[in-house]
This record gives sequence, C-alpha cells and structure tokens, in this order.
Amino acid sequence: MSALNWVTLGVLGLLGAGLYGLLITRNLIKVVIALQILVKGALLALVAAGQASGQINLGQSLAVTVIVADTVVAVVGLALAVQVKRLVGTLDVKALSNLRG
Amino acid sequence: MADVLIILTMGLPWLGALAVWLTGDRRPQLQHRLAVGFALAAALAALLLIGSTSSAVELRIAVGGAFGDFTFVPDGLGVFLAAVATVVGSLAVIFSVDYMHGEAQLGRYYTLVLLFIGAMAGLALSGSLLLLFIFWEITALCSYALISFYNDDPKAVAGGIKALIITQVGGVGMLAGALVAYAYLGDYQISTLLSRHQELPSGVLSVLAFGFLAAAAAKSAQVPFHTWLPGAMEAPSPVSALIHAATMVNAGVYLLARFYPAFEGVSGWTTAVIVVGLVSALLAALMALFATDLKAALAYSTISQLGYMVYAVGVGAVFASQFHLLSHAVFKALLFLSAGAVIHAVGTRDMRQMGGLGRQMPFNRAVFIVGALALAGLPVLNGFWSKELILEHGLHDGPAWAYGGMLAGAGLTALYTFRMVWMVFFGKSRRRDHVHDAGPMMRVATGALAVGTATTWLLVGAFGDLLEDSLPFHGLHVEPARALLEEIVTAPATLVALLVVALGLLAWWFRDRLAWIGEAVPQVGQAAAADFGFNWLNRQIVDGTARTAEALRTTQTGYLNWNVLGIVAGFVVVLVVLAVG
Repeated sequence: MSALNWVTLGVLGLLGAGLYGLLITRNLIKVVIALQILVKGALLALVAAGQASGQINLGQSLAVTVIVADTVVAVVGLALAVQVKRLVGTLDVKALSNLRG
Repeated sequence: MADVLIILTMGLPWLGALAVWLTGDRRPQLQHRLAVGFALAAALAALLLIGSTSSAVELRIAVGGAFGDFTFVPDGLGVFLAAVATVVGSLAVIFSVDYMHGEAQLGRYYTLVLLFIGAMAGLALSGSLLLLFIFWEITALCSYALISFYNDDPKAVAGGIKALIITQVGGVGMLAGALVAYAYLGDYQISTLLSRHQELPSGVLSVLAFGFLAAAAAKSAQVPFHTWLPGAMEAPSPVSALIHAATMVNAGVYLLARFYPAFEGVSGWTTAVIVVGLVSALLAALMALFATDLKAALAYSTISQLGYMVYAVGVGAVFASQFHLLSHAVFKALLFLSAGAVIHAVGTRDMRQMGGLGRQMPFNRAVFIVGALALAGLPVLNGFWSKELILEHGLHDGPAWAYGGMLAGAGLTALYTFRMVWMVFFGKSRRRDHVHDAGPMMRVATGALAVGTATTWLLVGAFGDLLEDSLPFHGLHVEPARALLEEIVTAPATLVALLVVALGLLAWWFRDRLAWIGEAVPQVGQAAAADFGFNWLNRQIVDGTARTAEALRTTQTGYLNWNVLGIVAGFVVVLVVLAVG
C-alpha cells in the first residue's frame, strides 16, 4: 500500500471515530473531544490532499487556519461545559433539552 | 438617454421614500410635499420614457456569478405599465394629502407607497427573470405592509398576512419557473426564454407555463386565489386604488401577456387561462352583486375585470387585454378614490348605511358616476371600447361557451354597478348629520382620473403602435386607430354586448318585480355572500398545514445524538446518490 492510501485510511478512521463519539456520548466534555477527533481527521485530509495535488502550500495554510478555528471551538465548548455544570448540575446533554414550546 | 430615464423612473420614488422617512413624523406638511413632488417627478420621467421605447437592453448591471446580468428593457409593455404605475401612483399620493390629513405615522405610509411605486416601475421594465421576481416580491411586501397599515386593527393585520401568504404561493411558482429556465437555457433574460423556448423539453415548458399561470392568478386575485383581495380592503383607500386596483394586481395579467409567445403552444395552457378568466369574471361579478361593503364590492369588481383581461390573453388578444388594463387602471382608480372620499366623509364602508349622499357630495357623485359608466361598459367612455374589443376577439378567436359566459358577465357588471351607485348616492338618506364633499386635493386626483376615463381610449392608435413596434416576439398586428374604432362600433358583437348591458340596467330598474327570482333561488345569494365556499377551502388548507407542522414537531427532539445521526444519514444518502448517478 502506498503512503497516500495509509493516510486516507487514517482520515477515514479519525472521521469515523469522531462521528461515532458524537453519536453515542451524552457527556459534554466527551462531545468536545469527539469533535476534536473529527476535525483532526479533516486536517489530515487537507494536508494529504495538498500533497497529492501538488499544492502543498495551499493545503498546509488551510490546515493552519483550521487549527486556529478549531482551537476556538474547543475553548468555547469547554467554557460552555463549565457553565452547564454550574447551572444544571450535570454534563448530560439530554438535560439541556428542556426548552420546549 | 433611455438609461437615465429608467433610473429616474425607479430611483425617484425610492429617493422620495428615503427623504420622507428621514423627514420624520413631526413635520407632516413637509412629508406631504416631498411625497407629492417625488411621485410627480417619477411620473414625468416615466412619460418621457415612452418617447425612447425600444426592444433593446438599455441598461445592464452586471452582478456576476449565477445571478446573470440585471437588465432593463423599455419595450412597449414595460413603459406602458411603468407609466400607469407612476401616474396613478402620483394621483393616489395627491389624494392622500387630504385623505391621510392628520393621521399618525405618515412617514411609514408615504415611504411604503413610494417604495411600491418604484418597485412596480422596476417590475415593468425589468428584462431579467430573476430581477422580475425580486421586484415582484418587493411589491408583495409593500402591499402586505400597507394592508396592515392600521396595525392595531386585528382585521387589517389578518388581511395583510392572508394577502402575503397567498401571493407568496404564486411567487414560488414564478421562482421555480425562473430557475428551470436558467437550468435549461443558462440565462435569466426574458428575451432568451421567448426566443429559445422551443429548445426546452415540452414537459419542462408546460411546468414553466403553469407555474407562471399560478403566479399570475395569485397576484391578480383570480379564482381560486382571489380570497385575499376583499381582505385587502382594510388598507387606506388610496392604497386600494393604487395597489389593489390600478397596478399590482395587473402584474399577473402583465406576466401572462409578456410570456404569451412562449406558452401559447403548450397544450391546454390557453384553455386553462380562458377558464381561469371566465370563472373569475362570473363568480366575482355575482359576489359583487351581493356585497354590502362598498370597497368589497369594488374589490370583487376588480377580480371580475381582471378576469376579462386574463380571458383576453387566453384567446390571444394580447393587445385587447393591455388596452383594457389601461382603461381599468384609470376608471377603477377613480372609483376607489371617490369611494374613499365617501368613506372618509361618512366614516363607514357599509353601503346599507349610506344612501342619498349625492345631494351633499355633488362633485364626488359626478366623478363616481363617470367611473361607474365606464365599468358598466357604456359608450363613449374608455371601458366601453376596451371591453368591446375583448368581447369581439373572444367571439372570433375563442370558444363559444366562454364568449357566452363573458357576455353574461358584462350584464352582471352593469347590474352590480348601478346597484352600487344607487345605494351610495341615491335613494333615501339614512343619515341626519351633514356630510362634507371631497377636499381640494381629492378633487384634483379624482377630476384628473375622470378626464382620463373619458379620453384614454383616444390613445388606442398610439398605444397599438407602441406595442407593435417594440415587442418582436409577439407579432402583434394592431389596426390604425380609426379602423379599429370603426370596427368596434360596427361589429355585431358590440350590439349584442350593449343589449346585454341594457338588460342588466333593466334588471336593476325592475328590481322589485324581479325580486321573486332572488326569493325562488335564495341559495345563489347565500353562496355568493359566503364567497362560494372559497374562504372555507382556504381555512381547510391553512388548518391542514398547521396540523402537519404540529405533527412534524415531534421530530425536533433537541438531542445531540439524534441530530448527528441525521447528519450521518444525510451524508450516506449523498454518497449513495453520487455512487449511483
């Protein structure tokens, strides 16, 4: 197997793991972690695509941009988790769906 | 030159809207003056634009990407409708100076009216389907906001929302048509669609044709979409005259006339157009006969007259439909404005509480009767010529059953018109208090429209040349004015129609002796007063939609895991579609 195939396999693995995590977990901290794994898969895909298409600069600069945006997501998500724990007393996302009209 | 005039015709009302809005409600005198000034300037620009009519693109704004170019084409149909919108618009604004005197929130009123006038001119002059749709929706929004102008009145709010929703249903049909045309032809230009419509598969073209027919029927308040127009009568009277009689409701007829060359070959389309026009003309005339609200009677009469125009397009008489559009815009605006003066004076819209007002409002009675005679189709006012032209074309080119129906409609029109005039201005007075006649600005507006009602038919020759020369796809052949008028006068169809109108008059004259008909079949009157069940149908559709929405609400769990599952499922569907197709 060539290097590119291995990388593709890695991308799919990371995306799958992230999605699976989002599907099964109800803990807000774990949701943030699953989201991070998902985004890391996308990052790897960007870098690999840049390598494969010969546009290494484009792929890597997009990856750097995604790292910045992704960090912000993680920070805000974790801050929300802290607030939720304080206000609701639990990190279970199911407890958050009480805004019913 | 033409491009500057196009920009002025649309831009001046919008500039005026901005100016009135910025003036603020603490200076009402300045607001009145600004609104009248900008509206008149726009009317002048539109009239000058008639001089530079052409079928070429005179103004092109490149917006790039998938939006195509926004183009403006000042052809005959366009400049004519823009002129009607701005001229009747400026008269309605002049009338408003008296009618809205001392009302609160004048800024909102004038801003919306001027915004509407500009958008209507843009709609008429637009040469791109997408741009046409955008202006189409702006006029619908203005109409909604002005119907609900008295927004502390629940009936006004309900009427506005109803009008907005029903015209939106039609608007979706139009957007779908525009997108389909773009998908197949790669261009939003109307001229592209008209010249290359043979390239579309016939199924696609019929979807387009019937989508546009639905849009036109919703906008022009044709059966089964007509229920919003009587509800729209909660608007101030000048708004009813401008939007719901003279301009916006004509946009549907304009749309049908504009795209007639592309759709006439679609099987069943012209028959569908004829049926829509015929049913609207007849049912609405019956409803007008039983209405007790003065403005509602006028609204039903508008639906009925628009039915005549739609029918005319259906039998291929595009010129006759546009000629009747011009006549109707003038005399119906006159009727609405003078009805507005009556309502302003007596403070009610119920005709049963009026009567004998003629002696106290002689000027208003005179102009109202001029409009009513034109509506009934009596010579020599403009309504006579255009209605006879439609009926003559209907006799020669259309099916006989439709012609018979339209003829009966003409008789009913005469009957309900005279009932209306009698109930308001003649008979025994039902009020003791003194009623003042129309104010000076009201007289300026209604007087100008009354003169127009008596004279616009003289323009038939120039109007025919205008359309013939600048519409390359329609292949219109309009005879010179003299020949056309002589033909109308001498045609047997005219005599028959006049006979039917006379029958309608006689029926009103001998109404006491004919009362047994009404007593023999009371169901007709009850059904007409109940809108022939169309309001019930509306109610059912609205309730059904609400129930469906309520049922779908259970799918909104708010649980993260289910949402992610939905995303994954959607992703899988996309992958499968990509893999298979």
